[in-house]
Amino acid sequence: MFENMKLVYMAIPLSCLVASVVAGIFGRKIGRAGAHTITILAVAIAFALSLVVYVDVLEGNKFNGSVYTWMVSGGVPFEIGFLIDELSATMMAVVSFVSLMVHVYTIGYMHDDPGYQRFFSYISLFTFSMLMLVMSNNFLQLFFGWEAVGLMSYLLIGFWFDRESAIAASLKAFLVNRVGDLGFLLGIAAVVALFGSLDYSVVFAGAPGAASKSFSFLGGEMTWITAICLLLFIGAMGKSAQVPLHVWLPDSMEGPTPISALIHAATMVTAGIFMVARMSPLYELSETALSVVMVIGAITAFFMALIGLVQHDIKRVVAYSTLSQLGYMMVALGASAYAAGIFHLVTHAFFKALLFLAAGSVIIALHHQQDMRAMGGLRKPMPITYLTAVIGTLALVGFPGFAGFFSKDAIIEAVHLSELPGSGFAFIAVTAGVFVTAFYSFRLLFLTFHGRPRMDQETRRHVKESPWVVWVPLVLLAIPSILAGAWYFEPMLFGNFFGESLKVLPEHDTLAKLAAKHPEATGVALLWDVIVHGFVSPPTWLFLAGSVLAWVFYIEKPELPEKIVKRFGVIHGVLMNKYGFDEAYNVVFARGTREVGGALWKFGDATLIDGWLVNGTARIVGWVSSAVRHIQTGYVYHYAFAMIIGLFLLLTLFLKP
Amino acid sequence: MSFIQLAFYFFAAVTVFAAAMVITIRNPVKAALFLVLAFVSAACVWLTLEAEFLAIVLVLVYVGAVMVLFLFVVMMLDINLSRLREGFGEYLPIGGLVAVLMVLEMAIVLSTDDFSEQRLPRPEAHTEGYSNTKELGRLLYTFYVYPFEIAALILLVAIIAAIALTLRKRPETKYQNPAKQVSVRRDDRVRLVKMGAERKRDES
Amino acid sequence: MNTAINVTPAIPEIVVFVMACVILVVDLYAAKEHRVISYALTLTTLGVAMLISLYSFSADPVYTFNNMFIDDALSDVIKIAVCGITFLVLIYAREYIELRGLYQGEYFVLVLFAVVGMMVMASANHFLVLYLGLELLSLCLYSLVAFQRDSALATEAAMKYFVLGALGSGMMLYGMSILYGLTGTLDITEVRQAVGAMPLDNVALIFGLVFVLVSLAFKLGAVPFHMWVPDVYHGASTSSTVFIGTAPKIAGFAIVIRLLIGGLEDLHGAWRDMVIILSLLSIAIGNLIAIAQSNLKRMLAYSAISHMGFMLLGVLAGTPNGYSAALFYILAYALMSLGGFGMIIVLSRAGFEADELADLKGLNQRNPWYALLMMLLMVSMAGIPPTIGFFAKLSVIQAIIEVNLVWLAVVAVLFAVVGAYYYLRVIKLMYFDPPDEGVASIEAAPDLRVVMGLNAWAMVLLLPWIGPIQRVCLTAVASVMNGFAS
Repeated sequence: MFENMKLVYMAIPLSCLVASVVAGIFGRKIGRAGAHTITILAVAIAFALSLVVYVDVLEGNKFNGSVYTWMVSGGVPFEIGFLIDELSATMMAVVSFVSLMVHVYTIGYMHDDPGYQRFFSYISLFTFSMLMLVMSNNFLQLFFGWEAVGLMSYLLIGFWFDRESAIAASLKAFLVNRVGDLGFLLGIAAVVALFGSLDYSVVFAGAPGAASKSFSFLGGEMTWITAICLLLFIGAMGKSAQVPLHVWLPDSMEGPTPISALIHAATMVTAGIFMVARMSPLYELSETALSVVMVIGAITAFFMALIGLVQHDIKRVVAYSTLSQLGYMMVALGASAYAAGIFHLVTHAFFKALLFLAAGSVIIALHHQQDMRAMGGLRKPMPITYLTAVIGTLALVGFPGFAGFFSKDAIIEAVHLSELPGSGFAFIAVTAGVFVTAFYSFRLLFLTFHGRPRMDQETRRHVKESPWVVWVPLVLLAIPSILAGAWYFEPMLFGNFFGESLKVLPEHDTLAKLAAKHPEATGVALLWDVIVHGFVSPPTWLFLAGSVLAWVFYIEKPELPEKIVKRFGVIHGVLMNKYGFDEAYNVVFARGTREVGGALWKFGDATLIDGWLVNGTARIVGWVSSAVRHIQTGYVYHYAFAMIIGLFLLLTLFLKP
Repeated sequence: MSFIQLAFYFFAAVTVFAAAMVITIRNPVKAALFLVLAFVSAACVWLTLEAEFLAIVLVLVYVGAVMVLFLFVVMMLDINLSRLREGFGEYLPIGGLVAVLMVLEMAIVLSTDDFSEQRLPRPEAHTEGYSNTKELGRLLYTFYVYPFEIAALILLVAIIAAIALTLRKRPETKYQNPAKQVSVRRDDRVRLVKMGAERKRDES
Repeated sequence: MNTAINVTPAIPEIVVFVMACVILVVDLYAAKEHRVISYALTLTTLGVAMLISLYSFSADPVYTFNNMFIDDALSDVIKIAVCGITFLVLIYAREYIELRGLYQGEYFVLVLFAVVGMMVMASANHFLVLYLGLELLSLCLYSLVAFQRDSALATEAAMKYFVLGALGSGMMLYGMSILYGLTGTLDITEVRQAVGAMPLDNVALIFGLVFVLVSLAFKLGAVPFHMWVPDVYHGASTSSTVFIGTAPKIAGFAIVIRLLIGGLEDLHGAWRDMVIILSLLSIAIGNLIAIAQSNLKRMLAYSAISHMGFMLLGVLAGTPNGYSAALFYILAYALMSLGGFGMIIVLSRAGFEADELADLKGLNQRNPWYALLMMLLMVSMAGIPPTIGFFAKLSVIQAIIEVNLVWLAVVAVLFAVVGAYYYLRVIKLMYFDPPDEGVASIEAAPDLRVVMGLNAWAMVLLLPWIGPIQRVCLTAVASVMNGFAS
């Protein structure tokens, strides 16, 4: 569109970077208004330009090239480059839009906070990192973005650093991500070892040829491609909070709600999904990896949803919901329905961000009260929040016609059609998950907005709708939550929307099989077809069942939950303890590492190295020295004698007649 | 056995005996005299080798100069005999062992092929009129002039060093300096002072 | 017998010798206040000798005096180095001896004769000449050690040096005579050819070799023939120590080169293991005992022993790189040693000898400039980059690694680490300890201060010229190994 699209591409992340630096370093000088103005301006520019790029890509102008070569080491060039195709353009648009919404929202949410400018600086920096990640055309930049978003997540979770729980949560997030990053880095190293380059195009071009190379592993043969995919997936597990590296996401709710919306719903956690989709040329060549992705995703989807049932903190519910939905996306990727996974990513970004921001709106209205047991009956005082929350919930549970319906349905169908090992289990898990999702979502709605108000008198009197900077983003997010699904259903899933950016091998192509079920319909007819079909499919029944059950539990017979808890105490206990993951990690890894470290310090370092090696050698040398110096007696005849002895020894040693 | 061989064995025995006496005898003067004997016998051995210049020089330098100096010092210094004798027994075993082993090793070395009759044939005796001294002189001043000059330098250094280390001018000793005496002038010694005539005290 | 002898190559020696005699006589007539004339004449002589040697520097060897005198690149390098170092030594020593009543013309004469001896040794191509040069040097050194005749310490040191030196010289003579017996000649060139024709395990050859080697070890101060070094360095007045610790070491290297490499190179297989023993023991014992010393001069003496051990590493490598590394090491060491003892002179005054380690305490607070100079010198001796001491050690270690003696290199470096302790202790005393009470300020003559500063800073400032210097050393060594065309 513009003459030099390269400048546009560079401007998108750089504007956020510049704004972040200015707000961060000169925050005090430019004041609160200055900080939020410049960052919002920057993100708005990024969003506008992302739209421009999006349109440009739809016209067929793609870009893959490097803009700066950092160095060449061992024949491998390390560059900064951009790959602008359908996938990255979509991600850019989503990331910048949600970020813009969150920026505006923050004006209201963090109104009283002393670290106002710092917060804006952080979230713009985060936006920059995420954009660099999705725009990258090589593994190095991907890794840079990967680490950078991890860092920003750490800084933002621990934003209120005087809270000990916040610090602990931020460390937990960072460390768990580190474990994932280890696998990620090993995967990148394997890529370099196998392909000799970090550039996507080189790697993807060489992938089919290298598909058969394998090495022996634990008695069997494993292909290099499988190893790479699995290692990269470990990184995705960390970043996208899949079981067993999911433990950090619920704790990340310690951070302010805007970032829960931005990072832990819409963008950062989706980096793993994005990465697997981007690496589709590699994953397609390894059925083992695809199976693993699918199964792990399924486990996450179902079991995390179950935990959401018993949470009292409103944000925790949404957090576990996010975990579960991320699992859905992974399942889609595992079933080679990459487009479906990305589609769900996009729709989920909108409605999950919406739900988080709505929850945030409630929280500030109740003066930072997060426990749902102290809420209730808020639909009258906060109508806009309530309405948008309902829209978000309907989208989440997959009410036919709303955004989430199309994406979730596609996933379930695709899994059903997949023939990979583990697809059966995955299908059951995602289907059952629909029920659970509906249940906890409506539970949240009912507990928060319906029923008798359970908060104290003081708060009840003051509760009112949040300021416009808070509800305008909610409305703006609600719109795509309704429409995005319908709008994009056909092009994303059945059309060639993603084009070359997602590669699917014919034998895995579940979406094609899905499309085959609706052979003639297109456009609105297709949509109507799917909606109607949806109304009579199991997921819809399940969601209805779930919502009805929630209504029963929380509106009709509020005393039921307690009775169930008492009856099924054990199960409840397990769910409350989040399956014991945290405790296990704490004992085995955290405490274990500390013990080993302590032992190594006390014995290894202090005793062995300091005591024996360092001080010990010094002592020995000093002792030897004070002993040997007595040879120098001062008597000449001793000296002469020593010389004679030396001569004599040399003679004896070397004269061999 | 020829006369030469007999002479060699006799003088060699005397040398060894004298050397042993030097280190064992108590009286230092006697030890010095035994050393003189050792040198003289060694000179005689060299005479049998037709090295008469070296033999004479040995006697002149070693006996005449060095041993005389030794005897001067021994007689001038007040040496405590008993203190010197101490410690001798301590070192005898080890020292003796080392000495014996060294002799054995030298014997081993000297009994090798390189020192046998074939490699080192006995030199023929020279004709009458052969002057060892003349030959040495001829070589020394032409072929070996460079080392000769350096040797002369060493002697010069010895003199300078000896003087630098020992010459002292004691402040208390009175000595004459003829040069100064001769260069004295009248004005340094005599000063004419004008004084008024003195009157006698009483008029008688 | 040649009738016409080419005296031109020997002009430096002749100049120095003649001037020494001139100064001897001039000094007789000069009054005490005009002693500086002798000093100036001596410095001029040394400068002129250096220039002549520099002028006649060429890679082609010239033989004269019936093949007893060789003027090749090595001899020129040694002569220039010796004259230059002695030049600096005299600048250091002058004020020192003046304050102690030792300021006599004989001092300069003896030094000049010692220089003649060293130059003779450098140009020697004949066993006899080598021996005579060695004796000339040694005699002058004995006297210089004993020069402070009122000091019992100095006299004792001189006695020990003399007795042990006589023993060493005797051994050299004995070894040389055995070699003469085997080869039938005293000319080093001819000896080399004769030895080349003999089998290596010839018992008598080894016998003679051992004696020669022992006396060389004595001259350098290698263990177990090192016993004289600490006592002599300590007992002699520092003005003498600064001389015997620097220039004669260079000359010692000269005789090692001429004898072991010029003459007995073919016996390398035999003497290599002997030199390994010598160098290992020197590095080990030198460094170990130095730790226990509290007297700075003794400590520097033991460090000299260890440095000689390092230098011998280069010799035993047996390659041109090794020999050139050893030469470079000796030159660097001479410079370092000059500075080390020079520092002691700078810190001393009339009646006070600054040779205890405790005298260095708190030097940084008293006079930061001198503390800095001493630190540069200590750092260079310890072999820490980027000083020349480091490059010297580096080249020597590289040489022995090239011949696959990696274990030796490892041991040497380990002991160098041990040795770094006492150098760093000096730095610690200067910078981290408070000065003793009532310590007077430091006065030194201006020329002394300038030279001291230049000397210490040369440790780092010579960095750009290390390459050229090493190339010169390589040329010098190559001329000994190859040039036997006469």
